[in-house]
Amino acid sequence: MPVPAATPLVEKRPTDGPKTSHTQGSREKRLRLLSMRVLLLLLLLVIWQVASLGTAPFVLPSPGRVFDAWWSLVVTAGFWRDFGITFWRVLMGFALAAAIGVPLGVLLGANEKLGEFFDPVLTVVNTVSSSIWAIFALIWFGLSDWTTIFVVFMTAMPLILTNVWQGTRTVNADFVELAQTFRMSRLQVMLKIYLPTILPPFFAGARLAFGFGARVSLVAETLGASSGIGYRLRQAADLVQTDQVFAWTLTLVALMIAIESLVLKPLESRLFAWKKKAGGQ
Amino acid sequence: MASVKVQCVSKWFERRDGESLHVLQNIDLEAPEKTITAIVGASGCGKSTLLNIVAGLIEPDRGCLFLNGVKASEFKDWRSMTYMFQEDRLLPWRTAAQNVAFGLEAAGVGRAERKERVAETLELVGLSQFADVFPHELSGGMRSRVALARSLVTRPTLLLMDEPFSKLDPTIREQMHAEVLRIAELMSMTILFVTHDVEEAVVLASRVVVLNPRPGRVRETRTIDLPYPRDRTSAEVQQEARSLRESL
Repeated sequence: MPVPAATPLVEKRPTDGPKTSHTQGSREKRLRLLSMRVLLLLLLLVIWQVASLGTAPFVLPSPGRVFDAWWSLVVTAGFWRDFGITFWRVLMGFALAAAIGVPLGVLLGANEKLGEFFDPVLTVVNTVSSSIWAIFALIWFGLSDWTTIFVVFMTAMPLILTNVWQGTRTVNADFVELAQTFRMSRLQVMLKIYLPTILPPFFAGARLAFGFGARVSLVAETLGASSGIGYRLRQAADLVQTDQVFAWTLTLVALMIAIESLVLKPLESRLFAWKKKAGGQ
Repeated sequence: MASVKVQCVSKWFERRDGESLHVLQNIDLEAPEKTITAIVGASGCGKSTLLNIVAGLIEPDRGCLFLNGVKASEFKDWRSMTYMFQEDRLLPWRTAAQNVAFGLEAAGVGRAERKERVAETLELVGLSQFADVFPHELSGGMRSRVALARSLVTRPTLLLMDEPFSKLDPTIREQMHAEVLRIAELMSMTILFVTHDVEEAVVLASRVVVLNPRPGRVRETRTIDLPYPRDRTSAEVQQEARSLRESL
């Protein structure tokens, strides 16, 4: 089909002009942020060092001592095994929570009566503390992987379910009608309208759920496991190996920061590029 | 080829208090092939409902709808018709090009052909450079062009529009009118649109159907016999608009 030129546009492309200066500014900003973070870290280390000088090592070990303990841990195969086992349990519980929470959230969101009926269940589940779930898990599953997985699941699932459920309520009826004028099938409407609408709240919920899950997994492991980071933490505490407790704790913090900045942040900015700068000029 | 014929259509809506509201009463309307027909009327005269009936989104309670001379219940080629809404309804998570592609995805057009047709249609509305831009980065006029492109990408023979430019600035609206006329001619489309702006009706349409409200019924159908392009400010257009306004 031959296409004549359209009438010229008077509007200009909004991203043309200020974009370069914008990225330059953000690089400067990032550099400043990084140096601030390093400074903060150094400050905390200094405070820690000073505080440890006047206290017994089993109360507050010095940074150097903790590092030595950490180093001697890292070189053992057991460290990586415990690390891997905890990570696997968290991931497993989280994956199950997502696999069940997402379809359930969609179902409850799609069916108003069903949602109304089951609403109180969610409230009850949310009020039960993770430690109580750990105790139940211990009764039901004993000293096994499933104790931890169950606790992670019970913590993460309601979070994911709630967010997905709320997400389905924000689906724009206008968009569904638009799809109908194009004679889209129900499946297409699900994939092209519902899914993209639910994705941001799902992601927010999943992020929260993973963080909570990782934390409660330790509680579960201290109570009902014979391996994993939580178990090692309790063991170290029982033996008053405070430097080892610190070493495990710092390992966990580092792991969570790494997951956040290397996996979640990049994934989020990739998935939600369309939201960026929205509203802000 | 595409034509619309509405025969003696009536529609009632169930109100919340249980009473039924008579929205449309014995509507007869015709949009012949390759013409532009406007439905004008004050708000509440049921003109959007009428358009939704033509689009097959609502069933009439009484009367018949014929598309291309075929009864609506036996009509198969619904994808030869597209609908442009009052709001642009661009999906915020899709770029301009991806929004335009939306229409083709429903029709199951393959990826390669989709890409080609999207590029072609974006060029048609003068937005080639903006293919990868997200809606929130576009101005109102450009968003409206993307919505128009989405309605055109399936190469419809019938385009329905529900006050599609009513939210735009007057100058941009005039640009869009010129675009629509150019493209309607180029693609030899039949257009049926709803508006409350009588000037818009006179500038675009060759036939104007005037609806009166409560219940919505056809007051008159008139032919606008002015040569295109029509200048909104010209004496002839103004005179037609004035006489239309009087019959509202």
